[in-house]
Amino acid sequence: MSLNIELIRGSARILGDEVSTDIHCSSKYLPGKDTAYIALHAFEQIAPGFANAFQTGDIIVAGANFGINSSREQAIHVMQKMGVAAIVAPSFGRQFFRNAINNGLPVIECDVDGIASGDAVSVDLTMGCVEVAARQIKRQTTPLPPAILSLLSAGGLIPYLQQYPKWQ
Amino acid sequence: MGYTIAEKILGQHANGQPAKAGDIVVAAVDFAMMHDARAGNALQMIEKLKTGNANIQLPYVKQTALVLDHYSPPPTIEAANTHVAMRAFADHHGAHLYDVGDGICHQVLPEGGHLTSGDLVVGTDTHSTTYGAFNAFGTGVEGTDVAAVMMTGRLWFRVPETIRIELNGPLQAGVWAKDVTLHMLGRLGAEGANYQALEYCGSGVSAMAIDDRMTLANHAAELGAKAALLESDDKTVAWLKAHGAATPRPVFADSDASYSQRIVIDSAALAPQVARQHRVDDVVSVTEVVGQKIQVALIGTCTNGRLDDIRQAAAILKGQRLARGVRMIVTPASRAIYLAAMKEGLFEILTAAGASVEAAGCGTCVNITGHYISGDDQVVISTANRNFKGRLGNPQSQIWLGSAATVAASALTGIITDARTVAGGNWRAAA
Repeated sequence: MSLNIELIRGSARILGDEVSTDIHCSSKYLPGKDTAYIALHAFEQIAPGFANAFQTGDIIVAGANFGINSSREQAIHVMQKMGVAAIVAPSFGRQFFRNAINNGLPVIECDVDGIASGDAVSVDLTMGCVEVAARQIKRQTTPLPPAILSLLSAGGLIPYLQQYPKWQ
Repeated sequence: MGYTIAEKILGQHANGQPAKAGDIVVAAVDFAMMHDARAGNALQMIEKLKTGNANIQLPYVKQTALVLDHYSPPPTIEAANTHVAMRAFADHHGAHLYDVGDGICHQVLPEGGHLTSGDLVVGTDTHSTTYGAFNAFGTGVEGTDVAAVMMTGRLWFRVPETIRIELNGPLQAGVWAKDVTLHMLGRLGAEGANYQALEYCGSGVSAMAIDDRMTLANHAAELGAKAALLESDDKTVAWLKAHGAATPRPVFADSDASYSQRIVIDSAALAPQVARQHRVDDVVSVTEVVGQKIQVALIGTCTNGRLDDIRQAAAILKGQRLARGVRMIVTPASRAIYLAAMKEGLFEILTAAGASVEAAGCGTCVNITGHYISGDDQVVISTANRNFKGRLGNPQSQIWLGSAATVAASALTGIITDARTVAGGNWRAAA
């Protein structure tokens, strides 16, 4: 699975600040429940109806420290099952950010002020640009370095290493 | 322009030259660890790596350890089956294996001589920062990362910015590294060091015994730190040598290194600290909460289950009885600590006082281990690293955090107590 990371377009789905993906998007506190089950119920406690209304290709637009304290890459697998195309947030938990890249889920650090649920968002990872044309929002961030873009476009670290066993 | 310890270690492992904060490097990893709570995912990722490419080998697997510590012993069939798979994998590929009762990953890796000063070490656990106590860059990763290390011996890293924290003066008797971290949590907030490395330095750190230094590096995870690095000194080198580690390659920061923040703590004047229920960063001096009733006292975990913690508890409880209505559980962090504590007669003291002692492992840190669940409205005081609501299986209970001294003194009286006010509370570890 490789990704077109040039331009990702999708509908914004909003989550708040300090969302723990271990709590709201993994089996850490739901032992025995699989990824498919959690994908149907993710984030329900903080955003009722979120998973149910989520459409493949939607973009999560979240608040500060998204994925804080969350070590599990299962959270990424759950979001991929939900069809999350990308996540835009002002900041991410460190381990969450790493897991997202390792599993080929595009993440971009960007101010999300003014973006509302249902807005058509476009994310250009190569340029580091987030745009909501209907609201005249166009935000430039520091683009991810080429090494990370390569991992993402390969679909994550494992497919990348299958392709480049010597890291290049 | 100088470099931090993190910039030097990551850079040296990438291309032999120091890197700069913000760089992305692919660096050679000296040792990797996965534990049983994350092994299910890690083993799946290793399978995924091999799927569709039969030529993929795992030549670096001998630089890895599989540790059975969270489910020690397993409380569920699922956990027991994970253990079966881990033992089979270790046997087949030649990874190091630490089985049930051997101890917690962050204790058995250093004790097993698997790391030394200057190393780069990763583990499937946020508290992998512990290795920084030995001047190794230790950081938490996930299953995909361990799979990549087993295959290539390398991993990508973003070189972190560093916060330099100077501890000015040795801690008073009855005050521990735990109190320093809780103080820092009160000051910076949980995740106040997100993405960043910490460097702890100063006479307060030099004066600490190795056990306490491990607490300092370990507990940095609650600050969100990617790594927590201490300098390597004579004590570090002697400890590493005694545990069969490779020759240390100490790494020091340059005097003109660039830091995101510099913080100086008057550690000599620091009082014992306590994190109140539900938040690791709701921190006050113990003196402000003296009198709060507790029913459960827990000593253990990768943060404070070491020999000096158990010695401190025994110094307070020698010849005493726990307060009426208080339960106390002590869980050593490793088999080696268990044996040493037995030889010193510490378990006799603690058991006679009314405490119970469990086999080495993650124990009472979190309810998934199956070792402890609180009742409604119970107040627990614990040496663990986290006190989130429901962490011990019941959101109707409270968890407060403190040092082994604070926990033992509180178990003695039944109320949160300043250890400096009870006999034995001024016990000091041999430096």
